[in-house]
Amino acid sequence: MNNNIIDIHGLKKSFDKGRVKALNGVDLQIKEGEFISIMGPSGSGKSTLLNMIGAFDRADEGTIKVAGIDLMTTKSLDQFRSQKIGFVFQLHNLIPNLSVLENVEIPMLRTKANNKEMDQRAMELLELMNFSNLQDMVKQNPTRLSGGERQRVAIARALVNHPSIILADEPTGALDSKTTQMILDLLKDIHEKENVTLVMVTHEPDVGAQADRTVYVMDGKVK
Amino acid sequence: MSFLSLIVKNPFRNRTRAVLAILGISIGIATIVALGMITDGLTSSTQTTLSNGTAEITVTAKGSNAFSATGGTLSESYATSLLNITGVNGTAGILRGITPAAGTVNGLEVNGINSSQTNLEGISITNGTNFVDGTNQVILGKSIAPILNKSVGSTISLFGKEFTVVGIYDSGNIVTDSLAFTSLTTLQNLTNAQGKLTIVAVKIDSNANATQIANAITNAYPTELDTTTATQQANLMDKSMSGINTASAAISVLAIVIGGIGIINVMIMSVFERTREIGVLKAVGWKSSDILIMILGESIILTLVAAVVGILLGYIGSEGLLAFFSSTGSVIKPVFSLDIVIRAFVIALVVGIIGGIYPAYRASRLPPTEALRYE
Repeated sequence: MNNNIIDIHGLKKSFDKGRVKALNGVDLQIKEGEFISIMGPSGSGKSTLLNMIGAFDRADEGTIKVAGIDLMTTKSLDQFRSQKIGFVFQLHNLIPNLSVLENVEIPMLRTKANNKEMDQRAMELLELMNFSNLQDMVKQNPTRLSGGERQRVAIARALVNHPSIILADEPTGALDSKTTQMILDLLKDIHEKENVTLVMVTHEPDVGAQADRTVYVMDGKVK
Repeated sequence: MSFLSLIVKNPFRNRTRAVLAILGISIGIATIVALGMITDGLTSSTQTTLSNGTAEITVTAKGSNAFSATGGTLSESYATSLLNITGVNGTAGILRGITPAAGTVNGLEVNGINSSQTNLEGISITNGTNFVDGTNQVILGKSIAPILNKSVGSTISLFGKEFTVVGIYDSGNIVTDSLAFTSLTTLQNLTNAQGKLTIVAVKIDSNANATQIANAITNAYPTELDTTTATQQANLMDKSMSGINTASAAISVLAIVIGGIGIINVMIMSVFERTREIGVLKAVGWKSSDILIMILGESIILTLVAAVVGILLGYIGSEGLLAFFSSTGSVIKPVFSLDIVIRAFVIALVVGIIGGIYPAYRASRLPPTEALRYE
């Protein structure tokens, strides 16, 4: 039985009216529950590949199925992103005027969850993120937090809608080595406990080496 | 947190900008509210309520204006001779004079009339009694009395003589309510206009036609008399009102356009600043329509707050203008009504939608990848 949660064949994507070929026939299969890292030099197409998996953009050619959904043909990409994907960015991208708790709840706002359910789920995840002063922190704005704390809030936000896949684009790129390891441990912990598939783009070999498997992207192709 | 509370919270992230935007729009709304209150006040004041018994035709000397004529320009005999014209039911000779009075700029218009004929001017005493012919008694219109700071029992100097205010009246007409009435003979003696009148108010038979009778009067005295019917007076008022209303509408449109441009500017700035955030919202599964509703909602919230501020400013402003003009003798009373509040909110809503729709559409169309790359 095919248990690939991500199944990509001959995926192509170009920009600037075809002048820039970001992906040039990518073939990639990722099993459910796998933790893989995608590595490659700058401009190799690794972030574009991650964006295609996250349905942020549509590919020009090829096939891409994620969590059983054909991303080339499905119309409701927003619904797919809401239900299947959790995204962690290099720069946490938290909303500055909202509290930590509200930031975590943001993806749930346009679901059918009520306020109580949202608060419960957000608190449950924030507790998983090992904050020492959680009760004080949840009402604060993220601007008062350190880089590592902000990234942990961003991870909680990525998990809030029970996604099958976490896509992390250089999640430790802006952190020091100690915080990097703490975030990686957290991601690995969630990956194991929640059985989510973890796809992480990184250019740091030490970080990439901690995945179950590393995929190298070069000139828009998986090597 | 709910979607609505987020929409309410978002516009006030940058408080200075929000306050400036609200102030900008609220000045437009305040202008609309103040103009609306003043024009509504004017409309209600100028609606000539032709109560039963009020004269339908005003007769003046040839070439005189029925509104502004003063002094003894007509012989008193016309009040009697006009009764011979078919259809004329009654007449009242009126002498008008203007005397300086504290609280007025152009003086107080005093009308001399026989006390039994004040009903032809629509006068109804609301406080005190009517004056007695041949005495130095005077009655004041309800609008002018507070300006003159007079009430029943007060004394007032008219044409250099002491008069006693014996009554306050209401005629339902802004012009009449800003006058004083006294005995015809007293005024004629005071102004050296014995046997003279300014106008003759003509009451016609109930089944008669005012225009036909007015024509009959001018035909009978072609070189001596002019006539103005109540309908002509009302039409003249309507004409002036329609001019004021058009000017008011034009200023309102201008306020909407300026407010609209202001809100577009504020919302576009906000969308630019929050491009990455919009990218994140799309990345976590928000639909384009959610983004559109959020930005449009923020624009509407700003303008609705501006409407509240604008209504307050407009109310305070028009009351301030009233207070200022009261001291200079104006009798216009701004009318604050639910209709004005609704109008202000509808305009604010329209400005919010017009101003917010383009930035909201722009934000909703942002591709997530592009929005997330935005520096």
